[in-house]
Amino acid sequence: MFVKLKSVAHMGLVSVPVDVEIDVATQGFPGFTIVGLAGKAVEEARERVKTAIVNSGMDFPGKKITVNLAPADLPKDGGAYDLPIAIGILVASGQIVLPDASMSALFYGELGLFGDVRATRGVLLVGLFAKKHRIKELFVPFASAGEAAVVDGISVYPIRHLKEFVGHILGSPSVKRLTPIKETVASDDAVEFDVADVAGQEQAKRAMLIAAAGGHNLLMSGPPGAGKTMLARAMPGLLPALTTAEALEVTRIYSVAGLLPSGASLMRRRPFRSPHHGISPAGIIGGGSNPLPGEVSLAHLGVLFLDEMAEFPRSVLESLRQPMEDGEVSIVRVGAHVSYPASFTLLSAVNPCPCGYLGHPKRACICSDKQVRKYRSRLSGPIIDRIDLHVLVPAVETEKLSGAQGNAENSKTMRELVLKARAIQEKRFSNDGFYTNSQMKNKHVKKYCEMDGATQRILKLAVESYDLSARAYFRLIKVARTIADLGGFANITITHMAEALQYRPTL
Amino acid sequence: MTNIAPHIASLDDLTSPPKQLYYRGTWDKTLFTKCAAVVGSRRMTQYGRMVVEKLVPQLVQEGYTIISGFMYGVDQVAHRQCLECGGRTIAVLGWGINWNGMDRDDKKLMGEIEKNGLVLSEWEDQKPTLWTFPMRNRVVAAIAHDVFVVEAAVKSGALITARIARKLKRTLWAVPGPVTSKTSEGTNQLVAVGHAQIWIPRSESLKKEAPSDNPIINLLESESMNASDISRKLGEPIDKIGAELSLLVLSGDVMEREGTYYVR
Repeated sequence: MFVKLKSVAHMGLVSVPVDVEIDVATQGFPGFTIVGLAGKAVEEARERVKTAIVNSGMDFPGKKITVNLAPADLPKDGGAYDLPIAIGILVASGQIVLPDASMSALFYGELGLFGDVRATRGVLLVGLFAKKHRIKELFVPFASAGEAAVVDGISVYPIRHLKEFVGHILGSPSVKRLTPIKETVASDDAVEFDVADVAGQEQAKRAMLIAAAGGHNLLMSGPPGAGKTMLARAMPGLLPALTTAEALEVTRIYSVAGLLPSGASLMRRRPFRSPHHGISPAGIIGGGSNPLPGEVSLAHLGVLFLDEMAEFPRSVLESLRQPMEDGEVSIVRVGAHVSYPASFTLLSAVNPCPCGYLGHPKRACICSDKQVRKYRSRLSGPIIDRIDLHVLVPAVETEKLSGAQGNAENSKTMRELVLKARAIQEKRFSNDGFYTNSQMKNKHVKKYCEMDGATQRILKLAVESYDLSARAYFRLIKVARTIADLGGFANITITHMAEALQYRPTL
Repeated sequence: MTNIAPHIASLDDLTSPPKQLYYRGTWDKTLFTKCAAVVGSRRMTQYGRMVVEKLVPQLVQEGYTIISGFMYGVDQVAHRQCLECGGRTIAVLGWGINWNGMDRDDKKLMGEIEKNGLVLSEWEDQKPTLWTFPMRNRVVAAIAHDVFVVEAAVKSGALITARIARKLKRTLWAVPGPVTSKTSEGTNQLVAVGHAQIWIPRSESLKKEAPSDNPIINLLESESMNASDISRKLGEPIDKIGAELSLLVLSGDVMEREGTYYVR
């Protein structure tokens, strides 16, 4: 007998329908074949499915079984087809009969040898796919079902075990469909890392505030132990909470990557990724024969933190160019051509010299001039050119900190300022299709950044005395624009421009 | 093609003067009439740089030719500073005049020195090695009339220069530094044992106008510090202080290096 069930394959973030066709022949030698460009994991489904059926107390038919995954030219991989194959065999061998509604349902999940249904990545995408294609019912693993439950208009049936599913079909319906989770914006006032945890560093904190408000990329340079990493970790807490649409976007990426914790539904926190400098280009932009998202996509709408940026291989830093420019990254492999969103705020930290103690008040630097120059030359180039804010994070002398305290900013007050500044920007760019000052092109700079004569004179003077490039010139204006927005000013004044000069490139 | 330098009288003071000297640039006898050597550590600190920036302009103003050893650190900063304020400078190399192993920056600086002074060496193609630098130091000490030591550790080439200078009865000056700093131990010792005279910047109290009414400048006059420290000391928000600092730097009232602000 012949049965056709529906499932889904993912190409990056795009889901495509897959028909799982199962034929249990009445003639021919007993056997079990899977065709349809099945990857290694799908090939091995034979063993899993066979054992799972037997261990669920059902019969595995000793007949010629052929499974076809259509379309035939689309590569398929992963364990998600175990569930439709197993159920298809049970139906085709006449052991169970699916109601009509369930014949057109989506089946998606990996089986264990005992018939248990294991957490499978990409369930959120299956849910979104079902809604888009008006598919009513969805049978997915219990552990991952929460992901799909955020999609409304579909019935999600979470399954723990193959036996449970069979009981549900044969006897009384025992698997309850999940009630859709009404996601409201989480009130995550509790930030993991507060900027107030870092002593001193007023200027670095100010730079972070500007970066968060205008979506600018930030480079911090300073000796070890000054607080660069702690400051960086506080960055997500300064950014506005994810909207539901944004949360869905982020969760999709994590669902595909299989990084969602079991039972989780929507990601509410802005992602913070800090890859080690030993990472490969494929690790940072994504890769694999069916490409998985890399760090730039996992940091989508959040923060990508490159600690010790000078230690990253040049090829990795170069590969950041496209995502930083386009907000997405395309990966081409033999099997697939996919693109993932990758719009992130780049936060980077460097030491001022190889040993780290150049300009330290107490410890002597042991690097020669030449070493320092070589170290810095590794940073120069295309990535540095895309970083708007440069700030020094000097060593903190604890004795200097005692005394003036109390006015220390904390993440909550800073985020309020960020929200205000972002609201101004959103209004300004409502017709331009972007949200923050950092995304302005030169024509927008000319349109939105009005300056009086005195401010222009200061800018001109700065360009001459610091020998700034044309690109640095526009960056300076963008930063000044954000500073003005933080103060609620319509035009950029001389103070804003002068402060922006504090954050010009110094390396 | 290598130019061989004419005889320099002051080199005769040495017990073993170089057999000949090679030079680049245009030979000018007057370069040697009043010479000050500015030598010091390769591992110069922020303080050392500030000292050179004060010392060299003053020497140039008094008509000195600045002599140094063209090594990175104090030497090269002294050469650069001298050229910047329009002085003439002589670089005595610790390697052969035609040795081609220098990097681009060094070559560029050498080209500038050739235009406004001389580059000297007692070798043609010698590579830099451990023994060439002390040899070079004796030439620096002999040509100079005054030797200024800026930042030197206890065991350093600058102290070799200082010892030779003393033997040749040149006037030896040392710039004192913080007693906690390793790179000032040598100079402080020169002063402590009475080998060198203390050099301090010419007092500007006489020609100085009324004290500035800018609190930032007042603060920086006693101690150099970074923007965050200034903001904390004055109890003003960092955005305001940052803006003011930028304007002060642009107007030339305040200097900034590696994030530390200071007044000249």
